[in-house]
Amino acid sequence: MNENVLFDEKLLEMLKTIAGEGIQNAAYGFSGMIGRKIEVSNPTLRLVPLLTIPEIVGGPEDDAVGIYLRFEGDMVGQIMMIMPYQKTLELVDLLMEVPQGSTQHLGSLERSALGELGNLCGTFFLNSLAKSSGSSFRPSPPAVMVDMVGAILDVVIATAGGVSEHVLLMQANFMDGLRSVEVNFWVIPDMKALQNLIKNNS
Amino acid sequence: MKKDPISLGLGERAISRNPEDVLVAYGLGSCLGISMIDPLTRISGLIHVVLPTAANGIIPSDAISHKYVDSGIENLLAAMIKEGANKNRLIVRLVGGANMLISPGMTNSFDIGTRNIETAHKTLQRLNMTIATEEVGGHTGRTVHVYVADSRVTVRVIGEKERDI
Repeated sequence: MNENVLFDEKLLEMLKTIAGEGIQNAAYGFSGMIGRKIEVSNPTLRLVPLLTIPEIVGGPEDDAVGIYLRFEGDMVGQIMMIMPYQKTLELVDLLMEVPQGSTQHLGSLERSALGELGNLCGTFFLNSLAKSSGSSFRPSPPAVMVDMVGAILDVVIATAGGVSEHVLLMQANFMDGLRSVEVNFWVIPDMKALQNLIKNNS
Repeated sequence: MKKDPISLGLGERAISRNPEDVLVAYGLGSCLGISMIDPLTRISGLIHVVLPTAANGIIPSDAISHKYVDSGIENLLAAMIKEGANKNRLIVRLVGGANMLISPGMTNSFDIGTRNIETAHKTLQRLNMTIATEEVGGHTGRTVHVYVADSRVTVRVIGEKERDI
């Protein structure tokens, strides 16, 4: 299967709409969890070569936090949210309702809160996707990783790498007032299943 | 002026005998950094391999041929010999191959790191090459540096200092 043929401009536009709604819905779930309004800014969707992923996210040796879940059902895929380590500490302050700067490291409680956030965003995203495509998905429990950017992304690359040379990358910033929490929200669908999704929508 | 290290992305290879050069693969998770050094000629090589082997057995085109552990090792060895390195002198080191996912239900089936390590061991054995040192497995990412000047190889994990292996 030629992926370049599969991913023409028209298709990307359509996916952009579906994924855009999904990320809005994820932010809505996020807002509900912290009890404050979270806005989504600059959502982008593009098809990127698998091997260039670490460069897109920044320095592969930078400290980062990844929240990862897989989904199965009518379509199989992965969701990875990745953010810089320092930004994640601020995010945990928000989640735990403590003054900014309180969180100094990520213990089991903090990781659990982040896992819950990933779970929530992932589920809201998938619900939106399910609604617009008439399919159903089941997400896995979330895994929270604290490590170098490159090492975290290896999870995505290793899992998708046997199947395709390109992945669909969706990035968005979650904003809480003036504080921006940059979240790279990656959705890596299984290519074959994606075709079915397209068929159902066209 | 000090030169910037030569940074290897996914599936890339670098070979050098210039003592000013430092080869580096940043943030290896389940990926492997495999280095070969001929201490006499100082020819040093490093590859950043991603997956154990090509799924359909087809050897990929040259540009991405260091994506896979088995063909990557073979290509690195061939290129090292072509540069003038002696196979019998080569010091081989493995770094990486971590299992990054430690969540219930997800651990085993996606453990590419372990499969990468196993494939590297088998491939090197088949080529009659021994591994001098390895720092593999576990659950943390690693950065590997190869210093051409003194044939030194170092590893760094998150929150720690670089150290020799």
